[in-house]
Amino acid sequence: MVILVIAVIGGWELYLRHRGVTISYDNGKELWSDKRAMVYEPPEKTTVFIGSSRIKYDLDIETFQKMTGRHAVQLAVEGSSPMPVLEDLGEDTAFRGRLVVDVTEILFFSMAPPNLERPQTDLAWYKGRTPAQRASFVLDRVLESQFVFLDRDFMSLNDAIANLKIPDRPGVFVFPAFPMDFNRTNFERQSKMTDHFVADTSLQHRVQNIWVFLMEMGKHAPPPKGDPVAMILGNAKKAVDKIRARGGEVFFTRTPSSGPMLGGEMHVFPRDKGWEPLLAATRSKGFHFMDKPATAHLICPEWSHLTPSDAVLYTKALIAQLPPSFVTTN
Amino acid sequence: MVFNSYTFIAFFLIVLVLHNLPLPWKVKKINLLVASYIFYAAWNPPFILLLWLSTVVDFFVGRALYIQPNKHKRRVLLVVSLIGNLGMLCFFKYGGFILDNFVHMVNALGVNYHPAKPNIILPAGISFYTFTTLCYTIDMYKKESRPVKTLLDFSLFVTFFPHLVAGPIVRPPQLVPQFETPRTASRRQLMEGLFLLSLGLFMKVVLADSMLSASADTVFNAHGPLPALDAWMGLLAFTGQIFFDFAGYSTCAVGAALCLGFILPQNFRWPYGAVGFSDFWRRWHITLSSWLRDYLYIPLGGNRHGKWRTYINLMLTMLLGGLWHGANWTFVAWGGLHGFYLWVEKFFNDRKERARLSTGMEGGMVVSLSGSAAVMAKPMRSVTGEISSPILPARLSSINRSGWFYALFTFFLVNITWVFFRASTFGGAGNILGSMFGVVHGGTPLLTSLAMVKIGVIIAIMLILHWFLRNSRVLELAQRLPWWLTGIIWSGMVILLILSQESSSSFIYFQF
Repeated sequence: MVILVIAVIGGWELYLRHRGVTISYDNGKELWSDKRAMVYEPPEKTTVFIGSSRIKYDLDIETFQKMTGRHAVQLAVEGSSPMPVLEDLGEDTAFRGRLVVDVTEILFFSMAPPNLERPQTDLAWYKGRTPAQRASFVLDRVLESQFVFLDRDFMSLNDAIANLKIPDRPGVFVFPAFPMDFNRTNFERQSKMTDHFVADTSLQHRVQNIWVFLMEMGKHAPPPKGDPVAMILGNAKKAVDKIRARGGEVFFTRTPSSGPMLGGEMHVFPRDKGWEPLLAATRSKGFHFMDKPATAHLICPEWSHLTPSDAVLYTKALIAQLPPSFVTTN
Repeated sequence: MVFNSYTFIAFFLIVLVLHNLPLPWKVKKINLLVASYIFYAAWNPPFILLLWLSTVVDFFVGRALYIQPNKHKRRVLLVVSLIGNLGMLCFFKYGGFILDNFVHMVNALGVNYHPAKPNIILPAGISFYTFTTLCYTIDMYKKESRPVKTLLDFSLFVTFFPHLVAGPIVRPPQLVPQFETPRTASRRQLMEGLFLLSLGLFMKVVLADSMLSASADTVFNAHGPLPALDAWMGLLAFTGQIFFDFAGYSTCAVGAALCLGFILPQNFRWPYGAVGFSDFWRRWHITLSSWLRDYLYIPLGGNRHGKWRTYINLMLTMLLGGLWHGANWTFVAWGGLHGFYLWVEKFFNDRKERARLSTGMEGGMVVSLSGSAAVMAKPMRSVTGEISSPILPARLSSINRSGWFYALFTFFLVNITWVFFRASTFGGAGNILGSMFGVVHGGTPLLTSLAMVKIGVIIAIMLILHWFLRNSRVLELAQRLPWWLTGIIWSGMVILLILSQESSSSFIYFQF
């Protein structure tokens, strides 16, 4: 029995490695919670990042850590607003660190439940973690670092069955699947596209189509109640003020997008409707990628996230814009 | 900690090694007790104090109950134990529920009372270990078994990690004697234990979590009307999920204990192959149904005070059984519906029995809960070493082919009860039932074709197995198969378990 299990699982692992699949960690609430616990590291040695998916791709953690000597803690969550995490850090009296907030306006200024659900779930998990769950995470981390097939997002049994591609009834909502090469996550929670994705325009088109699909969905969403932008600006100001009152610092960054995505975003949230009011309301400094020649013309292959090599360029530019207390160890 | 976690695998390996070292028996028992406390504390360490309190109080009260000659003092001691155990259960499990209902009541009477919501955390497994300790003190009061000799044995009986948080609910005579003599698993027991552990994890992780839970959640979390197909498939998904989840846990528990040389009672016996509802309750959560029978239904009077009292006792038992599952009226409705089914079944059985007596024919095939109460016996050890429940059906072999139809009808009606079990509100339950039976129209299709194929295949195979294996035991089946086939099936389960990559989600019954 043992021999058969080892043969099948070992064969599967070898096959995946032969296909060029690389290690990717489960980018779930367990890994997020592990990083969330790091925000209490000394402020002079650590910079915390929150936001949506862009900063997960665009911040090259290795470059940041090498250039600044500081630990980068990545808490951004894909497809979601960073507001629940920002507000939680505002309420957390133990947090006095340096915080960089990535702004993707359509998500940042959204109060739609689907855009808040994941960070809220992550926070709830972090606060309720049991000793057994922490121990399981430690063991899981060791295994995930060794085996390519341990990739819940793309290699699970359900994913294998999903490849059967059985046609659905009309009207069933099916969220389109991202290609595996679009997102490989390392233990620091940095997301990277593979070289194959960067080279393969058909994969890029597939992701572009997903953005179009989501934008179409957004057009048909019920209009928000009240004025969410004003409410979010108010909440952001409160959270930032609380962090500052304890000696912490907050900096905003608008990460690059390009093509029709950038056009659509600027149409819905021109700078004077989102970015600038945010900096004014929170009395904060920020770095908009359009403001510097080094980043203004970066191209996102699927319109929304940078390639690994461009992430290095962006990270260097960001470091140059961040206040000294975010990038030095003194 | 949960069985489906890396922590448990590491923990269990350490326990297995320690248990097989050449150490004195007392040391091994202390090891098991410490391991059980670690197993429990891995959730929420402070709650271990409750477990200690319950253990120590019931050990000494139980002993005093047995030796105290004064009838009045014995009653006082019993009341102390009941208040202690049930009070703890009421506070932690039903505190918020009682307060909510009180507030609704006084508000309905025009009193403007809105207290702050209590933030009470439910200690894992409290319903299970409370029932375990309660049955000990009640047995001591009735002098139905002898007191446990040492606090160590009693603590281990209450805390033994395989059954601690979600059963099977064990009785002292089932487990305590096993602690009195040194034991380790034989090679065969170890293999059988590991097989059951793999099977239980396969049921939980692959079938319940990976294949069915998402569809059940999607349908039961829907706020509006659903197409009938989606409502039915979502319900079937939950029907499968609840079985694979809970039976999976019980199978893991029996397997883990067997690896250490201990035998726990069987908790499930192909319940969806049941013909009738008393048969269902002899197959579903067997240790709870027998506990309710022995410590609630019979003390209420059982079937000893006439037909109508029997009906009332039956319904009360099922309503309280429902409430035991959760602090929500929907669980009471679930129990009430089962009580109603048992009423109807009893009515027809009684009529059949009267006809049989008048014609001198052989009796009906279904023995009701009330009927089985009359013929209850002590738990027995089978030739294979498994402890069988006294309420297992005696005349199943008489079921003929038409039983297949009755089994399907039973399954259909059991499905209806699961709506109330899974839905968190009556509105939600009404929405699902209305959609299922075409009372509510409209709604967007939710389930993908793939999800429905998974549900259809799993439920069909489950029903076929439950029907054809209804009189079999898993280990006996595994022994009857050729070794290579057992090996392939076992390997398949482990491979799918590894590939499913489900995170260590809690078992549904932990919330009870």
